[in-house]
Amino acid sequence: MFLQLAANGLVTGTVFAIAAVGVSLVYGVLRLVNFAYGDVMTFGAFVAVLFNTRFGLQMVVAAALAMVATAILSVALEGVLWRPLRTRRAGFMSLFLASIGLALVLRQAIFLVAGPQPRSYDVDPYKVYVLGSVRLSGSQGVAVVVAIVAIVLVGIMLGASSLGRVLRAVADDRSLAAVAGIDTGRVVVLTWIVSGLLAGLAGVLAALVQSSFDPNFGFSLLLPIFAAVVLGGVGSAYGALAGGLVLGLATELSTWPGFHGGVNPVYKPVVAFAVLIAVLLVRPQGLLGRARTL
Amino acid sequence: MSTIASGEFWAFVGVVAGIYTLLGLGLQLEFGFGGLLNFGHVAFMAIGAYTMAILVVKAGWSLWLAAVLAILAAALAGVVVGLPTLRLRADYFAIATIAFSEIVRYVATNEDRLTGGSQGTINLAATGEAASYNGEWERFQSWLQSALHLGSKDATMLVVVWLVALLACSGLWAAGRTPWGRVLRAIREDEDAAASLGKNVFAFKLQALALGSALAGLAGCFYAWQFSFFSPNDFAPLLTFFAWMIVILGGLGRFFAVPVGAVVFGVLFAGTRFFDFAPFAWFDSAERAYLRLIVIGLAIIGLVLFRPQGLLGRREELVLE
Amino acid sequence: MSALLEVEGLVRRFGGVRAVDGATFAVDEGSITSLIGPNGAGKSTLFNVVSGFLRAEAGHVLLAGRRMERRPVYAIARAGLVRTFQTPRTLERMTVRENVLLGAVRHPGERLPLAILRPGSVRRRERSARARADELLALVRLESHADALAATLSGGQRKLLDFARVLMTGPRLLLLDEPMAGVNPTLRAQLLEHVLALREHEGVTVLLVEHDLELVMRVSDSVVVMNEGRVIATGLPATVREDPRVVDAYLGTPP
Repeated sequence: MFLQLAANGLVTGTVFAIAAVGVSLVYGVLRLVNFAYGDVMTFGAFVAVLFNTRFGLQMVVAAALAMVATAILSVALEGVLWRPLRTRRAGFMSLFLASIGLALVLRQAIFLVAGPQPRSYDVDPYKVYVLGSVRLSGSQGVAVVVAIVAIVLVGIMLGASSLGRVLRAVADDRSLAAVAGIDTGRVVVLTWIVSGLLAGLAGVLAALVQSSFDPNFGFSLLLPIFAAVVLGGVGSAYGALAGGLVLGLATELSTWPGFHGGVNPVYKPVVAFAVLIAVLLVRPQGLLGRARTL
Repeated sequence: MSTIASGEFWAFVGVVAGIYTLLGLGLQLEFGFGGLLNFGHVAFMAIGAYTMAILVVKAGWSLWLAAVLAILAAALAGVVVGLPTLRLRADYFAIATIAFSEIVRYVATNEDRLTGGSQGTINLAATGEAASYNGEWERFQSWLQSALHLGSKDATMLVVVWLVALLACSGLWAAGRTPWGRVLRAIREDEDAAASLGKNVFAFKLQALALGSALAGLAGCFYAWQFSFFSPNDFAPLLTFFAWMIVILGGLGRFFAVPVGAVVFGVLFAGTRFFDFAPFAWFDSAERAYLRLIVIGLAIIGLVLFRPQGLLGRREELVLE
Repeated sequence: MSALLEVEGLVRRFGGVRAVDGATFAVDEGSITSLIGPNGAGKSTLFNVVSGFLRAEAGHVLLAGRRMERRPVYAIARAGLVRTFQTPRTLERMTVRENVLLGAVRHPGERLPLAILRPGSVRRRERSARARADELLALVRLESHADALAATLSGGQRKLLDFARVLMTGPRLLLLDEPMAGVNPTLRAQLLEHVLALREHEGVTVLLVEHDLELVMRVSDSVVVMNEGRVIATGLPATVREDPRVVDAYLGTPP
């Protein structure tokens, strides 16, 4: 039972982590708390549904197309919304509110086009991986492997490549980076591409794991994702991974009967929020992040 | 179906705008004066509504006494939330408050025995018995209706809600002009400067949050009375965003801008129901509900982009940043 | 003369760097004391620790014998230790007069129940506060701007506004962080006069961070020299000027 819950937690955690890296990256470079991220994930999940069930494409292909679609959407939104806001010197509050408006528009547009009925992908629902006493569904197994590979790739990209160095430089100090001759406009677009790809992937994987999802599902994941970001320390990819894992494990393991009978599973999201608030209060710089001086 | 010309319908829109005014006034005090980014405002409304309903149905209290306690409970919740979180950075405070509001909604959904669960307040009493907390309110309403010779229940409600809303508005406006309000505005401008002049910034913020939450609790009571039934999903985060939009639409830092914002928002929101021309005519009514929210979302974005000072605000005074 | 402010072994680090590293000195009651030292000597950090904006990691700050180092900023200000900032913290979207009124201490109208009930005591206090604020605005020659938004003031005027605002609190000890920087020469002379008059007539003690050494030597009763987070010399301006350690660390050649 405990191991099964831990395995479930690992799956949820890695999926949270991908999305958390995407949110964290945008916050690091643009100082934007993107409230629409959950709905961009939903958008990705629905694009994949379109290609997978309507056009009968393989799940892998559908997922890849969904990632491309979310990346395009993210870049397009940079052009029509975020850049104009920045040129008007919009502050944190304006950006946050605009992202709330955007979240509303995206979600309702998905409702309008796709309808409110729950969807699922055309995958084999009976496939099961058995590892000792742990059973993972086919979707869960794929999700956890893909998610870990994706995070390692992003981690390598941020840590080692010149792109990663540039991103970190801009995240540290935008004006200084601009003075140093970094094309910040290009970096911003790159950030949106990476974060968009991650949103698409996280959306598809989260949808796979849930097996059935409606246009509200991305938004319902948003706060746990924020929690993972804060937990890991804003702006750190490996931190986001750690945050996602801790959060996934905490929510799943909280239902373990061996722990004072366990928390009622309906309260799993509450556990995530409680962890979020607790982390904000006790360690606002995150688990791995360093405290900023003033 | 009601038509656009129906006075009854517009009275209903007016009542909702009045309730939004109370909700928005709380945010205006918290953000426009104290600089607090409360994104969980709806939680305090829920706490007000549920406290009132539970005390009436389960404890058999008088509606009026229950309402007073409900407002106090909302204020107390504000203090309890504020004590640990007010020291957080603005963005973290925003996220912590929205998380709190979702916790409140989950608890209301799942603690069936306390709140009636996802079915809402109809389940508050014993099984098989439809609960109502509203009897005393409706008696009061019909008494007032005949006393004032008003045409309908909604018209009566309209008078009551707006009387309370404008009273609250005037009260806050007066409070904002006192030395107390001056300190709050200073904190919004620069809390370090205020602290360096001997002002206990934390205490002032806590007062603003408690008072703003009390107003949300009052809005929750009126919401409950108007609809005579509610469920946890009535207090989704969307409502907080509506309240934010109303405050910014009216203009930050001015209490009398809130009712203006609420009326404009109410008319826009309700008015879009009657969009029966192209392209709206192509959609059925369920689809139009989505369209209305898309319009609201676009309006929020447009406001932020093109008129951050709101309808009544002046650029040099307070602009959304 | 007795010491109004005593700083003992104060330590504050950033990361591994000891910005203030065991600073010890005293400011005599009724004196004008200047804190000088090269850039990065730790003067600003010391100001921030003394005024409560930064926590001290070790050491004490005593105001008239009472320990301040664990108190929050507002409590230190209420005890009579009030500071200005290097860049003036102007409350831009409030009027100039409101900025000054904010300095009123123990104003009963700042308590919500009293603010609403407005008993006579609140109204009287507000009237006297306004009178005092207008007096101070006249002192710094900003009376014609009293009802304008503070955002309309120039940089030098903002310094003066900050000065009027801290005077409004009726401080015992005033910490002035480069009050003359960015102020034009005419205003400078006036500001200096105000500082001197303040000590003369109201017995206010002043601790000053200032880069203009000529001015420091002229107005100070006592000078404290910091370098690398430590106090390397204290004493009369004339003595400090001749101190070889000071000359080495900072002055190069005597001015």
